[in-house]
Amino acid sequence: MRAGVIPSAAYDVVPYTRGGTVERREVGALVRSAVGGDAAAWKAIVEGLGPLVWSVVRAHRLSDADAHEVYQTVWFRFAQHLGRIREPDKAGSWLASTARHECLKVHRNARRLMLTDDPQLLDRVSEDGTPEQSLLEAEEAAAQSERVRRLWQEFEELGERCRQLLRVLIASPPPSYQEVSAALDIAVGSIGPLRQRCLRRLRARLEARGTT
Amino acid sequence: MDDMDDMNGRNGEETYDEGDFDTGLLEEELRQAAAVLDPLPPALLQIAVDAYALHDLDARVAELTFDSLVDAIPVRGAADPPRMLTFEAGEVTLDVELTSQGLMGQVLPPGPARVEVLGGPQPAATLTTDDMGRFTADTPPSGPFALRLHTGADVVVTEWLRT
Repeated sequence: MRAGVIPSAAYDVVPYTRGGTVERREVGALVRSAVGGDAAAWKAIVEGLGPLVWSVVRAHRLSDADAHEVYQTVWFRFAQHLGRIREPDKAGSWLASTARHECLKVHRNARRLMLTDDPQLLDRVSEDGTPEQSLLEAEEAAAQSERVRRLWQEFEELGERCRQLLRVLIASPPPSYQEVSAALDIAVGSIGPLRQRCLRRLRARLEARGTT
Repeated sequence: MDDMDDMNGRNGEETYDEGDFDTGLLEEELRQAAAVLDPLPPALLQIAVDAYALHDLDARVAELTFDSLVDAIPVRGAADPPRMLTFEAGEVTLDVELTSQGLMGQVLPPGPARVEVLGGPQPAATLTTDDMGRFTADTPPSGPFALRLHTGADVVVTEWLRT
């Protein structure tokens, strides 16, 4: 990292207290309950952290098939290691880091590499219902959905590192910076400044298109 | 590197006045867009919920100690080289070779064992080793897989991997 990314308190005063961490304070307890046989606790973990794993996978631009398989592999392995996780409170970081490693493995395997820079991507029909449909259902106003689409398009066209960082950050519920750090192997202290920079870039792109 | 330049901002963009720019708002808007345009597929959520069945306290986990995908230098000219994997749990070693034709493996120390090829929480195909500890399957696993090895009273499961 160059000097330009030295963490600055002014950028982000509360890097450790984002919404997600508050909701995830119980993750350690849930993991311990799941180890003890509590299936509901396991389900709560999956629902709370599944979107984070998905975001990490999507941040790495895999084909849909690879993305689905990596997602499953991560959860199978987590289930397998459940009773052996050294720091149950950091299950989110464990999942994010495992997802990252599996994604990098896919990239290493050139035979499987398939970039999804395809502009048709946004219009693809997924097997779980079309984004178009859910978009139309979710957004009553056509103008609003057009704005969402433009926002997403500008986001997709950001530089790769910015796109990657933001894709992880916008998991829902929002990940903690420790989880983002594990997902992308970047220092916790640099996430705030990079986040600012990337969002600023995105806004500049939107302004250039007259979208804001 | 282009990416780094991108991250660090060139051409004096650092002086860009962020003023009242609410990054939290833009991030939240983007989060909502992701929820609409690139959500976690419900089927995958369900698979992860069902994966609780894979939680197995009785089995020892054999860790991946060699993966040709990561640890080996690619063979020049080999279009479709076999994937070589080694798993270890204590004194038990499991060597596995995956090709498009199937799966071959050997348990060490050699001996009779039952090998289940797991593909998820659903029931698995079972193979039996010969006296040398060797086993074969005619079709390679598709997608994530693990091998569960039964030798006498001992149960060893390999770490989950993708083919």
